[in-house]
Amino acid sequence: MSINRVLKILFKDFSVGPRKSFFIWALIMPFALTLLFQVTFGSLFEPKPRVGIVDFGNSAVTTAVQELEGFEVSILDYTDELIEMVEQHDLDAGLILTAGFDEAVKAGEKPKLDFYISGESLASNRIIISVMAIEQIRELEEGDPPVDVQMVYFGEPGLPISIRLVPVIVFYALVMAGIWVPSSSLVEEKERGTLTAMMVTSARLNEILAAKWLLGFIFATFLAVVTLLLNRAFGPRPLEVIVVIIVAASLTSMIGLLVGLYSKTATMLFTLIKSLGMFLFIPVIFYIFPDWPQWIAKIFPLYWIISPIWEVSIMGEPLSSVWFELTIAIAITLILIPLLLLIRKRAMV
Amino acid sequence: MKSQISGSKLLLAILKKDLKVYSRNTIYLFLTIISLVFFVAIFWIVPDTVEEDITFAITPPLSELFSEGRDVLLAAGIPEQLLEQFDDLEAAFEEEGLMLVEFENEDQLKKAITQDLEVYKTEQGRFVIHDPDGEQKKPENSKRIRLDIGMSFPPTFFGDVVVGVRPTVTVFADAAVPDEIRGAMQGFIREMAYQLAGHELPVELPDEEMIILGQDRLGAQISTRTKMRPLIAFFILMMETFALASLISNEVLQRTVTALLVTPMRVWHFLTAKTIFGMALAMSQGLIVLIFVRAFTAENWPLLLLTIFLGSLLFTAVAMLVGAAGKDFIGQLMFSMLFIIPLMIPSFAVLFPGSVATWVRALPSYPIVNLLYEVTIHGATWADSYTSLLYAALWVLIIFAAGLFVLKRKVATL
Repeated sequence: MSINRVLKILFKDFSVGPRKSFFIWALIMPFALTLLFQVTFGSLFEPKPRVGIVDFGNSAVTTAVQELEGFEVSILDYTDELIEMVEQHDLDAGLILTAGFDEAVKAGEKPKLDFYISGESLASNRIIISVMAIEQIRELEEGDPPVDVQMVYFGEPGLPISIRLVPVIVFYALVMAGIWVPSSSLVEEKERGTLTAMMVTSARLNEILAAKWLLGFIFATFLAVVTLLLNRAFGPRPLEVIVVIIVAASLTSMIGLLVGLYSKTATMLFTLIKSLGMFLFIPVIFYIFPDWPQWIAKIFPLYWIISPIWEVSIMGEPLSSVWFELTIAIAITLILIPLLLLIRKRAMV
Repeated sequence: MKSQISGSKLLLAILKKDLKVYSRNTIYLFLTIISLVFFVAIFWIVPDTVEEDITFAITPPLSELFSEGRDVLLAAGIPEQLLEQFDDLEAAFEEEGLMLVEFENEDQLKKAITQDLEVYKTEQGRFVIHDPDGEQKKPENSKRIRLDIGMSFPPTFFGDVVVGVRPTVTVFADAAVPDEIRGAMQGFIREMAYQLAGHELPVELPDEEMIILGQDRLGAQISTRTKMRPLIAFFILMMETFALASLISNEVLQRTVTALLVTPMRVWHFLTAKTIFGMALAMSQGLIVLIFVRAFTAENWPLLLLTIFLGSLLFTAVAMLVGAAGKDFIGQLMFSMLFIIPLMIPSFAVLFPGSVATWVRALPSYPIVNLLYEVTIHGATWADSYTSLLYAALWVLIIFAAGLFVLKRKVATL
């Protein structure tokens, strides 16, 4: 095998790649998913109570509410706007603080509270916002509460859904680049006859396959790294994360090569990726739903790469803690090589 | 001898050919069946209830807290008739949005928060505490409850606050419980103590009826499953874009359309046949899914049918635009995505609370999604829907005209 020829084929693939739709799609997908999951689904699964405030008197309550964790606070200029937003359920509740409100509370005048709740707001959100509003107004009285409340926490703080969705995005980066790109490139060469054309040159089939594998590997590594950076999920051990990604990209590119070799046409490739995709995707779901029995995920091959990525990048664990998973992933990659050699004749179909 | 072939016979012949090509295309047949089964299965898997309550636990049980509190106050010489405010406090624990579980002791409560003990709610509304390591079986016909937070009161809490002794309440919480729930529970305890200590609210609260704006959905929130109903119907309509676009693309790529034009078939026959075929394909699948997710009612079926019809037309038109590009399989798939992704946005907006952003309303698929949403979820009538119907029809007309124009031009230039 000539390294020089492998690199030449690889360079050709990279130079014509940006013109290919599958290449562009693989590049766009992780960015699009990051945007979709972080912005859209991040707020869909864990919506915070949304409060609107119209403050006519620079009340200390407004500042205090803005500083609270766990609320989405909107400061509005007009009462009508606030009422309309509450009515439309664009806000869960709205508070109108009249001029001199703080002074009236401090003087014990019991001013009337203009407070509105959306009819579509959840019962829990109604309680949370009402209690919060009363608490912040009580703060104006500047006295100690007649009870001491002590908090005791158990367990680890839960991870927000936006973080639990990172494995999904990394999975897509690895699959789109590692599986989709080399397999599509191979199938396209088969369909257009350029693979046969290459075979009449001095290039060997093994060299072409090595170049396709490298194409997927480099692309998958790059996209997985970019995805983790975009999601600020590189953790405290970036170098160790890169090692894990390299192992993951090796495996997905190997699967991509197998799929590309096996598929005679683009239609067949698409069907195969569709069906195989569901099978490969299953372990990722277990990171979104940590309450599910986690042993089931271990049955599926990509668990052995998704798990180390999760542990090292998100949980900040050292590489030594995932050596077993990485060994399994490398073993799967190596086991696929004889299979690749067995079906390599399909490249010439 | 030259025989006259009617336009309808020609259309029928093209439709038959398209149906044959479609049924031979295993990939789309496979995708169609998988999608139908997948979407219907997802619909029935998604929960049909909305968890509205903050689930919390207390120890000791309320009855013990009140009886101890009474004893302390009676011992302090406070007359019994002044203890009526205890009833108001008991009502506070039963407020809508709060689900209270009572524990005999703090150890049990802590174990329940750390999940070492499980809590089940029976159909009769009773709470059963179950030890997963014990020999006792899980209670039947009951649902497991996850406790957000637990409060351990000193038994003499009520009495102590009234007589001016500052008690300490320990709140146990899983670290994963959101800040706002923790804050609310702490506030709840403090407010209860303020009331007991005779500190009235520093503001005058308006009447409850006055402060609820819009339709009050307390206890009758729209579940995710119900919200999925219009979403699934829309997705199925959308999926057909790929199938029809591929059929048209193949005709353009393989130039079978030019071969057909040598026969008595005219371009308009081709375009009409594609329109009918695409619409029939999308509409039939949309209807199948809507039937399986039980979207049709005796009142809404004509309006829902019309909405599905408009949706089918819209995506048929999109398929014409995509198919006219005459790209290969993967190219056409990617090109379809460029149209499909923006058209998908309004369907996600349905899942979010609140009104939809103005730019989303401007998208061609918005009126269709809105109609599906309003008809299947809020039971919208013809009178409620005519604006959306007109808006949808306008978009369908624009995209359809564009689709026909582009495809006609493409066929003419082949």
